[in-house]
Amino acid sequence: MNEFLTQFLIESREFVEQATEGLLVLEQSPHDAERLDSVFRAFHTLKGGAGIVEFAAMERAVHAAEEILSSARSGKHALTPTLVGDCLACLDQVIRWLDVIEQTGELPSSPAESRADDTWLAEMLDSNPDVRARVTTALQFIPAPDCFYQGEDPLARVTSLPELLALEVEPVVAWPSLNSLDPYQCNLVLTALTAASMSEVTEHMQGHSGTCEIRAIGTGQIAPQDWVLPSQAREILSAQRDLLAHATPANFAGFIASAGLTAENVLRSCAHPEAAAIVAQATQKSLAESSSDSLRISIAQLLSSKPAALTENARPSVKPEAAAQTLRIEAARVDALVRLTGELTVAKNAAGHVAKLAQEEGNALAGVLKERHSVLSRLIAELQESVLAMRVLPLRSVLQRFPRVVREMSANLGKPLKLEIEGDDTEADKAIVEMLFEPLLHIVRNAIDHGIESPADRAARGKPSTARIQIRAARQGDQVLLEISDDGGGIDLERVREVAKARGIATEEDLRSMSETDIIDLVFAAGFSTAAKVTELSGRGVGMDAVRTAVERIGGRVSVESRAGHGTNVRFSLPFSVMMTDVMTVEAGGQMFGVPLDAIVETVSVPKTAIKGIGAAQAIVLRNRTIPVFDLASVLALREATPNDTAATIVITTMAGHLGGLRVDCIGERLEVILKPLDGLLTGIPGITGTTLLGDGRVLLVLDIGELLQ
Amino acid sequence: MDPQKTILVVDDASLVRLYYRTALEGAGFHVVEAMNGLEALEKLLILPVHLLVVDINMPHMDGLTFLEAVRRKNRELASIPALVTSTESAAADFAAARAAGANYYLVKPIDQAKLVQFAGMLCGVPR
Amino acid sequence: MTVRLTTEGTIELEGSCSSDEAEALLQHVLATPNATVDWRGCEAAHTAVVQVLMAAGPKILGPPVGVRLEKWVQPMLAANMPK
Repeated sequence: MNEFLTQFLIESREFVEQATEGLLVLEQSPHDAERLDSVFRAFHTLKGGAGIVEFAAMERAVHAAEEILSSARSGKHALTPTLVGDCLACLDQVIRWLDVIEQTGELPSSPAESRADDTWLAEMLDSNPDVRARVTTALQFIPAPDCFYQGEDPLARVTSLPELLALEVEPVVAWPSLNSLDPYQCNLVLTALTAASMSEVTEHMQGHSGTCEIRAIGTGQIAPQDWVLPSQAREILSAQRDLLAHATPANFAGFIASAGLTAENVLRSCAHPEAAAIVAQATQKSLAESSSDSLRISIAQLLSSKPAALTENARPSVKPEAAAQTLRIEAARVDALVRLTGELTVAKNAAGHVAKLAQEEGNALAGVLKERHSVLSRLIAELQESVLAMRVLPLRSVLQRFPRVVREMSANLGKPLKLEIEGDDTEADKAIVEMLFEPLLHIVRNAIDHGIESPADRAARGKPSTARIQIRAARQGDQVLLEISDDGGGIDLERVREVAKARGIATEEDLRSMSETDIIDLVFAAGFSTAAKVTELSGRGVGMDAVRTAVERIGGRVSVESRAGHGTNVRFSLPFSVMMTDVMTVEAGGQMFGVPLDAIVETVSVPKTAIKGIGAAQAIVLRNRTIPVFDLASVLALREATPNDTAATIVITTMAGHLGGLRVDCIGERLEVILKPLDGLLTGIPGITGTTLLGDGRVLLVLDIGELLQ
Repeated sequence: MDPQKTILVVDDASLVRLYYRTALEGAGFHVVEAMNGLEALEKLLILPVHLLVVDINMPHMDGLTFLEAVRRKNRELASIPALVTSTESAAADFAAARAAGANYYLVKPIDQAKLVQFAGMLCGVPR
Repeated sequence: MTVRLTTEGTIELEGSCSSDEAEALLQHVLATPNATVDWRGCEAAHTAVVQVLMAAGPKILGPPVGVRLEKWVQPMLAANMPK
């Protein structure tokens, strides 16, 4: 091996490592400018090195990733986890190349590896003339060598492509002698032609490992590949678009024909014969239809394309105007709008308050005021709905991180895994989507670490060697339902009982009277962990209580269901939008508080005698159920002893399936409020979930029943 | 090996025509000259042309009038890419050239390297 | 077992062959180099298994009963066999 290659190998491996580390950090914090810089420089240097040893394929591959990072650096495009994945996939390929160089002592020259961008495509189309006319999308898929360990089956994936027309499979490097063949290293490159659309194919290939190039063929669609369009070329193309916009009936044909030919020529001179051919077709179409649309759309697509190893393509029916249907808006502006709407709601409540006062005072204007107020109310409610809809995101933005998580855990633990995600286009408020990652991560980790058995155990139980994790999301009314299921061993009830006893979470008696559901629910208790060994991956296993807290804080619910030996289901029920809360106001110790309405089961007024003392605690019996009663004012440390009234007003609340009673001085009214989360001084106070402003200007503290009654 | 492309240079200044010819022939193009729009129209009828490099200010028939006429001809002639050159650089001048059917516009003086570069792209010759 | 050596010395692939069986198949092929692979009863085969077949290039007795195997994988194997 010549000295350049030796040096190139050493340096490249270093930079790949540097880039990988940086990318993994960027996946979590995409705005770390320093890190982005260093990753960009690493790729840039890799590209330079490839240039020096004249390794064109690597130069091209690394360049594509470099463009992604450059875009992110200049703030033009955000660095999404998908893009990070693409960059990582590029590094996977580089490593494979470096390995080959190390083994063979020279640059890879096998057909699959040093293939120029378009050669595979042209060859594939040539060798399948009988289906050529029907092909709309072509792909070349090189799975990662360790994909089998991640539970992937590349052949199955590709042979199940919609409308598959042709398939060719070849080895990446020539097969070694059978004696030294590692059957679990994937050494294949799969090339396929289909009649499906590019976006169908892209979606079908989602979540795979390795690299996948997808090209649209001959339907007037242009596949954005690693575009290297020099700026002059862009200027010329842009000028053609302008020219077309100024065509008049007199010179129409001439304008279209010359603009089309010019665009075609530019593309040919920049070594993009494919794109040139498509533009030529678009020109013909435009001339035939006497409309510049086809050609203008073609050119627009060329100008807006970005370099990437795998990107989606616009459908043929998309006109340039369609782009204006979405706007990019800074999240801060939407948040400001939400705050403003919240304040409008408070103002509306204030007006309502005045209307009521007017009525009570017998003011002549009372009736009119009431009417106006209800109109205002309706309008504000509509505004609020629209504004909150702006904050809505598809769950995909949080779920798409999981294939990588599962992939890595599967490799680390040696457990083959398959992750299925359904309904990731289900939408929910930004606050919910953002808060979901940690809890979901914990649950998935638990499932993989503790729920799913080792391959040996699974084989012994007759289970498929590849374990399955499903994440399903769906909208139901005003709730978003999310379910995470695995086909592992389920929750070991006996162990839960043992641990609960050992950690003082429940006594033997308690356990005896608990139903299976209740016992399973114990995993959510603070201080609980059934990990025989605290692994680095799942942490301490005590996170389930943090999961429940996080979910309930935004007004959701989480529960667990287990089927012994067959698997576990964790279910989330989350509000579609967070902001409005129904509360009931109550008075206790001379102050007013808000109790979230969905925590209230009912309110009762009982004679003082109905309150029984049980040790230091108090309880009432309601419909044969014993419900503990707490004096709200005492709990909130507003007064020492319970007053000696003849009757007591008790608000029966429910939290996590348990009933509790709150004794209050009196009950107020129902209000719909926008809850402001706690900040500043109030954050440390237990039992308060947030505040809101009342119509008369008072601040209402809204209680967190769960926290309060713990 | 791509067949040689022919460029028709239309400019009333012989020095300019010589300057362009030297640059373009050096880059492998076949060059034909015309002194004004009328002569250019005649030349178009004689042999196939792949690119027009047209100056605006010329006697007898200026560049834009010539271009308008070309764009109204039969498909083959009307589709020839046209690079318009002029000493003027105001927006109105760009717009006028575009309205006449110019595919690109360069402000004079144009150095030889730039001319060759753009000519190459407009003709479809690899860089 | 969905990959087995029959008494006649052929290697039979039957039903659904998972990735785990790739190793077994390779061992069989190494042990009986001239054996024919009979996959007529094969419904599905993981890529790892097919890969072994590609690398080993044995004589194959088909067609496999699995639709996708018969339509796509069998022709692909045939195309890859050394002439």
